[in-house]
Amino acid sequence: MSRLGRRRIGGRQGVIGVGSSAGEAVEFAELAGLSRQERVERLRRRMMAVPARGETRRGRLEDADGRVSVDILPVPGPFADLLPPGGLSRGAVVAHSGADSVLLGLVAAVTAGGGHAVVLGCPRLGLAAVVEMGAQLARLALVPNPGADPVEIAAILLDGMDLVVLGLGGSSVTPTRARAVVARARSKGCALVVTGGHWPGPDLRLAGRVVGYEGLGWGTGRVRGMSLDVSAQGRGFGPVLRRLELCRAQGTTEWVGADAVQAKVILEEAVSI
Amino acid sequence: MKSTRVVALWCPDWPAIAAAVAADVSPTGPVAVTLANRVVACSAAARAEGVKRGLRRREAQARCPQVYVAAADPDRDARLFEPVAAAVDAVAPGIEVLRPGLAILSGRGVGRFFGSEQLAAERLVDEVAATGVECQIGVADELTTAVIAARKAVLVPRGGGAEFLAPLPIGELAAEPSLAAPERAELVDLLWRLGLRTVGAFAALPPVDVASRFGADAITAHRAARGEPERPPSARALPPDLDVEQQLDPPIERVDAAAFAARALAERLHTKLAAAAVACTRLLVQASTANGEHLGRTWRCAEPLTPDGTADRVRWQLDGWLTGHAQSRPTAGITTLRLEPVEVVAAGALQLGLWGGVGADDERARRALIRVQGLLGGEAVQVGVRSGGRGPAERVTLVPLGDELVPEFDPSAPWPGRIPEPAPTTVLDTRPEVALEDPSGTPVHVTPRGVFDVDPARLRWGTRAWQLRGWAGPWPADERWWDTATGQHIARAQVLLDEPKALLLVYRAGTWSVEGVYE
Repeated sequence: MSRLGRRRIGGRQGVIGVGSSAGEAVEFAELAGLSRQERVERLRRRMMAVPARGETRRGRLEDADGRVSVDILPVPGPFADLLPPGGLSRGAVVAHSGADSVLLGLVAAVTAGGGHAVVLGCPRLGLAAVVEMGAQLARLALVPNPGADPVEIAAILLDGMDLVVLGLGGSSVTPTRARAVVARARSKGCALVVTGGHWPGPDLRLAGRVVGYEGLGWGTGRVRGMSLDVSAQGRGFGPVLRRLELCRAQGTTEWVGADAVQAKVILEEAVSI
Repeated sequence: MKSTRVVALWCPDWPAIAAAVAADVSPTGPVAVTLANRVVACSAAARAEGVKRGLRRREAQARCPQVYVAAADPDRDARLFEPVAAAVDAVAPGIEVLRPGLAILSGRGVGRFFGSEQLAAERLVDEVAATGVECQIGVADELTTAVIAARKAVLVPRGGGAEFLAPLPIGELAAEPSLAAPERAELVDLLWRLGLRTVGAFAALPPVDVASRFGADAITAHRAARGEPERPPSARALPPDLDVEQQLDPPIERVDAAAFAARALAERLHTKLAAAAVACTRLLVQASTANGEHLGRTWRCAEPLTPDGTADRVRWQLDGWLTGHAQSRPTAGITTLRLEPVEVVAAGALQLGLWGGVGADDERARRALIRVQGLLGGEAVQVGVRSGGRGPAERVTLVPLGDELVPEFDPSAPWPGRIPEPAPTTVLDTRPEVALEDPSGTPVHVTPRGVFDVDPARLRWGTRAWQLRGWAGPWPADERWWDTATGQHIARAQVLLDEPKALLLVYRAGTWSVEGVYE
């Protein structure tokens, strides 16, 4: 029960910046009912949502139906628990490493949520897998070969897109260069995800590691899903590790948090009994 | 000259047929339609009894006492022709109705789709017959020729229009009122009295003499008689002289100066396009430098360019050239700038937005991508479209941004044997070769019956080797075996390495390669 309550607040935290006094009164009333640890986490999330210096406060308004504010880009369901603002903050720079499926999940969620994404310099990304995760191909552009200076191309694309995925191809970006691009990303409100290279001082580090596959036997079955350990570490919050699963569901795939997987297994056992 | 083909579909005696259908009388019986007490159309049965166009009503009734006489009603004709047009449109879209009872189609697509013009004609006749109406088909290079061919039910070969028309009586030129001016009948009568009894005799007159002695309609009729294009086909021939060019003095070396020149030139281009009532969908931007270098790039667009869009593209293109890499950058300033529309559509024709809607966000994203296209080239920015296929790479077709989104294969087809989801998250288009071996090191192959000859136990990729912890397959796919060029006989298998890492392997011509990685 307490978990449900926490999640509900977590879902709302993107709108805190509105700062209406009535809203805050309710927030504190809700805080009162929580344990100390939950309260600390709750407040920490609030601090994360406070805009950085120079960051505009535009768009921090709640929709009529209470959706997350437009300053947060949507992420696949279980990733929201992993990232303190409940999604990717616009203007943030994310350094990704490890499993590609994490990258694909971000792209799929942003395009499915109505945003535009572009993938630079990752010619090996499995597009069929993105489609299965629910991506809208019409809002996804690809630049498989961004030329000699992919960072320059990414800087151009930051103006107009909601998510830019930049494959550095093993190269490293100097801090001076990075600072200009980060400033541009922040002013244009576009999230930049860098992968396959070194980026100095990202806002968030996301890493995925495959820990197991489901469904493949010795001469039988086939790959039905996989489980990954996804870790996130950002400015202001320590490393968080979650076990996530990518499961197939009716011609598509979906991300499930490990708790949900457990619940499903328990449910299936109950049914089989 | 680009050869066009026109398919004409003619339902004989349409007013009479429509009148009979509306009155629930058999269309095969004698029917006559009168206007101002004169017969304007009659059925074949009535014609056999001596009824013909121009007879007075009483006379027609005297010649054929059982004839059903109806008053002319264009609304009725049109209303009853609609199902016919819809039936044709269902199999061959793009039908253009000239008048109730006569319709035309562009012949190239239809002929290609059905295999040949003969087959297309047969299919169209069948489709129209299914609505309970008889029709005849004519195919020719030009509209008038095709309509006359439809009256004779003839397929005129390419370039054979004039030859086909030559022996026909001159009256054929006035037989179809929807294609001729009202004074055409007088012209034909005059020509007849002058002794020109066939279309060929009229066509043999020099065009200059026809133009100087007869009216404007005679020029049209003369072109039709010679089988020459009488009006531009709907797939817009390029009007001449749309190019705009500007000499730049001093030569442009800076981007801001280029932007200024681009705007002025775009305005001039669009004034010209507007005067020709066309809009540009493909634009060639050319530039020459003081050192005699020539640069050029074609911009394709799904929707017609606006003046702003043209200016932006020219500016981006110049920006791309002037600030590009050292090897592609011109060695001197740009002295001549030239815009040439390569493909135009009728002004007002607007295709659907590439990004679905036309919101401000979509427009911003589009502009950013088009800008990158200017820097890297048109092919650099790609958009995916769902396609059909069994392997992961075939399921999305990449097309350059701005091109029509056409999948390579039909995504709605069932594709039995498709590798089920989840698809590999990494697809290796290089297909690195690997070796699949059994415990003793013997290579594993797929037998003609579609199974492994020995169970795999080890995978060797380059210098590294992994023990398998699981495997599944092989799943053979004997694709497009009827086509030697694209056909492939392959098998796929999934293996689980001890890392852990799952791979999708593909077996082709005795060797294994990695198609995708699940990670």
